[in-house]
Amino acid sequence: MMKKTKLLAVLLMLCLMAGLSAQGQVDSGVQKEVELRWASIWVGNDSKAPAVEALVNEYNAKNEGKIKVVIEPQPDYNAYEQKVRTSLAAGQAPADIFTIKFNPTTATFYQSNLLMDFSKVMSSTWKQTFDAGSLEQSTVDGMMKSLPMETAILPIWYNMDAFAQAGVKTLPATLDEMWAAFDKLKAAGITPASQMTGDTNAWTSMIWFSHFAVSLGGTNVWDKPFTDPAFVEAAKLTKRMITEYSTSDAVGLGAGGSGGHFLAGRTAVFSNGPWYAGRADLAATPFFGSIKIAGLPAAGSTKDFMISRLQANICAAATKDKAKEAAILDFMQYLTSPASIARIAETSGAMFAIKTDYRPVKALQKQFYDVASAAKTTAFDLEAALGAEVTLEFAQQLGALALGRISAEEFCALVDRKIER
Amino acid sequence: MQAVGTQRSRVWGARALFLFPVLLLFFFFFLYPFVFTIVTSFTSWRGIGSMKFNGLANYQKLLGDPTFRKALGNNVIWALSQGFIQVPLACLVAMILVRKPKGWRMLRTVYYLPNVISTVALAMVWVAIYNVEGPLNAILSSLFGMEKHNWLGNPDTALFAVIFQTVIYIGYFMIILLASAMNIPRSLYEAAQIDGASTFQQERHITLPMLRGSLITTMTLAMAYGMRHFESTFLMTGGGPAYATTTMGIDLYLKMDALRYSEASTAGVFLIVMGTLVITLLRKIFGSSDPMSEMAQ
Amino acid sequence: MKQRITGIRLVANSIKWVLLLSLLAVALLPLLWLFVSSLRTNLELQTNPFGWPKTMQWENYAKALSMASLPRLLLNSVVVASCAVILNSAVTAMGAFILARERFKGRDVLYTLLTAGVLVPVISFMVPYFSFITKTGLYNTLLALILVYTAVNIPVSIFLVTAFMKSIPRELEEASVIDGCGFLKRFTVIILPLSRSGLVTAATFCFIYSWNEFLMAMLLTSSIESRTIQLGIKFFSSQFITDYSSMYAAVIITIIPSILAYVFLHDKIIGGLTAGGVKG
Repeated sequence: MMKKTKLLAVLLMLCLMAGLSAQGQVDSGVQKEVELRWASIWVGNDSKAPAVEALVNEYNAKNEGKIKVVIEPQPDYNAYEQKVRTSLAAGQAPADIFTIKFNPTTATFYQSNLLMDFSKVMSSTWKQTFDAGSLEQSTVDGMMKSLPMETAILPIWYNMDAFAQAGVKTLPATLDEMWAAFDKLKAAGITPASQMTGDTNAWTSMIWFSHFAVSLGGTNVWDKPFTDPAFVEAAKLTKRMITEYSTSDAVGLGAGGSGGHFLAGRTAVFSNGPWYAGRADLAATPFFGSIKIAGLPAAGSTKDFMISRLQANICAAATKDKAKEAAILDFMQYLTSPASIARIAETSGAMFAIKTDYRPVKALQKQFYDVASAAKTTAFDLEAALGAEVTLEFAQQLGALALGRISAEEFCALVDRKIER
Repeated sequence: MQAVGTQRSRVWGARALFLFPVLLLFFFFFLYPFVFTIVTSFTSWRGIGSMKFNGLANYQKLLGDPTFRKALGNNVIWALSQGFIQVPLACLVAMILVRKPKGWRMLRTVYYLPNVISTVALAMVWVAIYNVEGPLNAILSSLFGMEKHNWLGNPDTALFAVIFQTVIYIGYFMIILLASAMNIPRSLYEAAQIDGASTFQQERHITLPMLRGSLITTMTLAMAYGMRHFESTFLMTGGGPAYATTTMGIDLYLKMDALRYSEASTAGVFLIVMGTLVITLLRKIFGSSDPMSEMAQ
Repeated sequence: MKQRITGIRLVANSIKWVLLLSLLAVALLPLLWLFVSSLRTNLELQTNPFGWPKTMQWENYAKALSMASLPRLLLNSVVVASCAVILNSAVTAMGAFILARERFKGRDVLYTLLTAGVLVPVISFMVPYFSFITKTGLYNTLLALILVYTAVNIPVSIFLVTAFMKSIPRELEEASVIDGCGFLKRFTVIILPLSRSGLVTAATFCFIYSWNEFLMAMLLTSSIESRTIQLGIKFFSSQFITDYSSMYAAVIITIIPSILAYVFLHDKIIGGLTAGGVKG
């Protein structure tokens, strides 16, 4: 018995020592080399990962002995967002370089003095490589504590093969044409559109709602109270989409299910960003070549717009170390240079806030770029405009609206309560 | 006299030594964070920026929030379901298995397997099962002619669906009760057998009384898990639809997501206090004897 | 009369087996689904979650096994889970002994305080934990995870082990005292062996928790040297796309060690108790 306890004690000590010595951080003996830690979400399975990792390696090779960028992989996105929030709340930046999804909720990070303010240190030449609108959107109260990088448009995806099957040859141009086309699809046994009220943001339906709302209320509709008639009408239209023209599991359905219906050919119309275009399982569908990317027929007086958002902004930790600050800025300039961005765009199909000469060759991705440049104006979607909390309420109550438990006016009033002005 | 004195101090020294590690860990990982949580619950703090004292405002807001009240109600339902459905079921299975029917070793292992797999995988399977076009509806409609329900998408059935999916996985509580049941000496059963007692009578007069303490322990634990329930519901429904399945844990999590850290702390404090009250109340109502008083022998 | 008794017995027996087998089916379902799904393509999974693979995609397992640093991540998980279990069991055994077998003022209060920790949703403590771990310089170490997992499981372990320890009859302890057992001997010779089933049960829970835990691991570590296998599995997901079929293959691969640990440790130790009884 005593022997066992002794053995256990020794084992415990060994394990503790192993644990203590398993330090993750590499102690660099060389004082002059500046080490930058980038908590990167563009790792593993992400389509941007290979290009980003290559760029980082080349940068490190070029700056050997002076600057070293170390990528700290953050594979799970939700956990990564938690980490960013938690570390900032605990009084620390999550890393020297990190990205955020810019919206009213994350914009409050600007109030923290843990983030570097780029507006003070950016040269005008560097600024000019960015799309001016995106820079402005990333500026709050004169501070710009994040740089816009990845952007996205959120158009509607039409499976033209399914439309052809139902006897519809062209995209509907008006709302009435759309209902008619949807009725034809139903008659042909195809569910017209993917819709969903599940997850924390009712993603697909949220996008549809945004298209309706902007068309009815203009690109600045999000500044209006949510009880505005534009929103009420948009709610009614979205409800109609869910109850009459979508799958029976739409209420409570998640993004995986919504996409799954489209991939299986069960629904003919879908909505998502450019990242979905690069999926291998999408490319394996029989209708891949007949997907058309476009907006929705106008529900109101605003036309020729596209729903667009800032998908990823890049931030840096504020630092008093001048050498580190210089290193961070040098790397950021390299990463956001048109040459680097073109490389990332090429292999990933993602869209960026930096102007480059890159134009995709793959048909579907090309459509995204064409639609984005053809749009006369852009507007945010609900989540990008109003933040996570409002979107959650939207998603929760959308289910109730679809089930007829609340009216469109009540729906809008409930969502409006969550908006902070 | 002196010998007794040193003896007593030695005992106290030994007690302190034995308690020290557990208290140390508890202090840093529960007490200190809990104090932090209590303090922040009396402030308005959004993660960034300063903490401003604002008294009971958060608590008033919390108690006036219909979503939170719904969450509290749901948690009580969870506590009752886990304590009074899941645990008795687990106990039944433990009592059957302790008599070693055919294949009991395999059964005992397999029943605990779902706990070995992470909650995420479990949630994904059941979301697929509950889907309108999924296997559950397929079976129900072909066997009973029922129409297809959107179990998780209907506010009336969603809570029941998520609870059902938890309650049938009895492995966790079963192994606790099984461990206790196996401690019951064989000799008692042998004696009862000789006296001509049936299996049913043996269970009623030997097993159940001997398991009583363990049952109370397990039910209390199950109720605690019910009060703090978060993960599987969040993975399956996100708290919806229309907050039908929300729990205090989910409410807390979503508040943190929205950077409402003070309000999350308020929900946390409320959860812990409420949980303690509900469990104490339920134990009193169901006339359980406190294991602690049993120790005062 | 005899026929009626055997009739009842038959019905009771059938009900028993219906219950056991339906619970068995329910328990096996997720594992089977995971395994079957790991052999399908992502398109198949997206379009229909329930179904048979058209062709067996064994390459998903090749992909899972080629996960970056798989051996290191597995080793880390083993070290973290084992150390957490050892530490948790040791700390719990010592503390529960005092709470269960010693009488002193304030014992009940202490016990209630410690076990109230079961009610805490650990997510609400993320900010203080992060703060504590970074301030003590333990960020990005295995030791951080070991300490957190040990501590988080203390309330449940104390709760269970105290209950098991208190069920040991007083007479045994008193007899041992008469035989000359001091404080330590009471602990090691009498109480510890007799509460073995409780300790092993608590240890099992702690192991499974530590093996499957993800959120704290993600929060408190940043490099492969101190990360666990659960983070490795996440490499098949990204912000927008999840390679589910490879991920499921990876999940199956990582379940095997925990199943083995459970079967050998728990079964062997608890199974061995059926022979020896508490009382002669």
